[in-house]
Amino acid sequence: MDQRQAIRFRRGLIPVLVLASTVTFASLALALGVPPLTGRVVDLAHILSTGDIEQLSAQLQAHEEKTSNQVAVLIIPSLEGEAIEPFSHHVATTWKLGQKGLDNGALLLIAINERKLRIEVGYGLEGTLTDLRSAHIIRNEIVPRFKSGDMPGGVRAGVDAILKTIEGTYRAEERPFSGNQTGPGPSALQYVLIGIVVGFLAGLVLSQGLRQTRALLGAILSFLVAQLASIPLGLVAAGITAVLLWIVVQANRGSRRGTGRDDWAWYSTRGGGWSGGSFDGGFSGGGGDFGGGGASGQW
Amino acid sequence: MGKLLSTILVGALLVSSVWGCGYNDLQGLDEDTKAAWSEVINQYQRRADLIPNLVATVKGYAEHEKEVLEGVVKARAQATGIQVTPELLKDPAAFEKFQQAQASLTSALGRLIAIAENYPNLKADQNFRDLQSQLEGTENRIAVARKRYIDRVAEYNKMVRYFPTNLTAKFLLHLDEKPNFTVADEKAVAKPPDVKF
Repeated sequence: MDQRQAIRFRRGLIPVLVLASTVTFASLALALGVPPLTGRVVDLAHILSTGDIEQLSAQLQAHEEKTSNQVAVLIIPSLEGEAIEPFSHHVATTWKLGQKGLDNGALLLIAINERKLRIEVGYGLEGTLTDLRSAHIIRNEIVPRFKSGDMPGGVRAGVDAILKTIEGTYRAEERPFSGNQTGPGPSALQYVLIGIVVGFLAGLVLSQGLRQTRALLGAILSFLVAQLASIPLGLVAAGITAVLLWIVVQANRGSRRGTGRDDWAWYSTRGGGWSGGSFDGGFSGGGGDFGGGGASGQW
Repeated sequence: MGKLLSTILVGALLVSSVWGCGYNDLQGLDEDTKAAWSEVINQYQRRADLIPNLVATVKGYAEHEKEVLEGVVKARAQATGIQVTPELLKDPAAFEKFQQAQASLTSALGRLIAIAENYPNLKADQNFRDLQSQLEGTENRIAVARKRYIDRVAEYNKMVRYFPTNLTAKFLLHLDEKPNFTVADEKAVAKPPDVKF
């Protein structure tokens, strides 16, 4: 295969990978998408002043530093026909509020047009921030203030009450060591990376001398290793990497490693597609999960 | 030497494909579905536990709504009367019966809550409102648990049916397809129609 063919091959793969990422997202999407997690207080309906947002964010951050619980607030103009429970669950699990394994996250979601709100509670907080207590907070703290027109006051009182209800349940010392994986194990992305590394090394070693048979054996070897570990994603990645490496080596004898960087760029695009969203503002979810606990209300 | 190496590698490749093909994955998914099923059972049980209090509270205000009250009590007895074991997942008929019983209970509960529309005092009663919140919370958890079970079972069943993992499933592990819920959200279907005056 000559240089032109190799370039055409690489160019052809990019749209395929982009399409794959898009299709994955499309199948996950509800009519209303999950907003990006730009901070602990995401006010897309602009009912809070900058001062309010800063104060609430500081309060929530202090709480996290003390207890490792991750509580966030999302205010949206409209649910656009979605029911609030599935949407709130979707947001909470996408943002992954709460620490992995502890699942100590909570979300206060307010939909202005529909006049509906919900407190979504992670598995780990259900013991203290029970469904009943969430309902009481909504009923006694938030709704009366919303009804009288004091939106910022309602949000502040709600956050106050939520934090007070769960205060002190999880202490920083109870966090698992950063090295420990109490979760279900390496993520899909990690398997892909393992596969890439294995494939790359195998392809390199067996491509010595640039002989076709050796490179093909390299591909088979990486396939084999991944298969034995039963990591389907890893094996696909390993196979693709080894074969690509073979092609690259064939096409670009003696040229720079710039082409190697292209391969990595594609995989990081795919990896980005799997991570499920981008996190800005220094705040990101800790990997917590939600079982549907909490309470809804309206004003 | 090259030919021998190739033969060995291809041979090992074939063996590992047949053996490695889905062996661990199937076991993993099997465990995942069992865990997801346990969660579904837990939430249904939690719902059943709320009902006696709920019935008692409604009775306090609407004693003569005998039909609805008795309907809930009976439906609950029927649902909790079904022995739920992991074996249920291996028996599609028993699974179906379980699903029906829970769906009936959902309907009966819907009618019970709807009674409150006619009894403003009941509707305003703190205890009733509390129980209603707890019931709503539990229904939501049931929905989440069901969805997760449905997703897990779909993954598992795909692996059991697709080639070549179906060979591993059938001959090595003796794993069969697992039953799935036929209605994704039984609450939406069971909701009694809104009555407006």
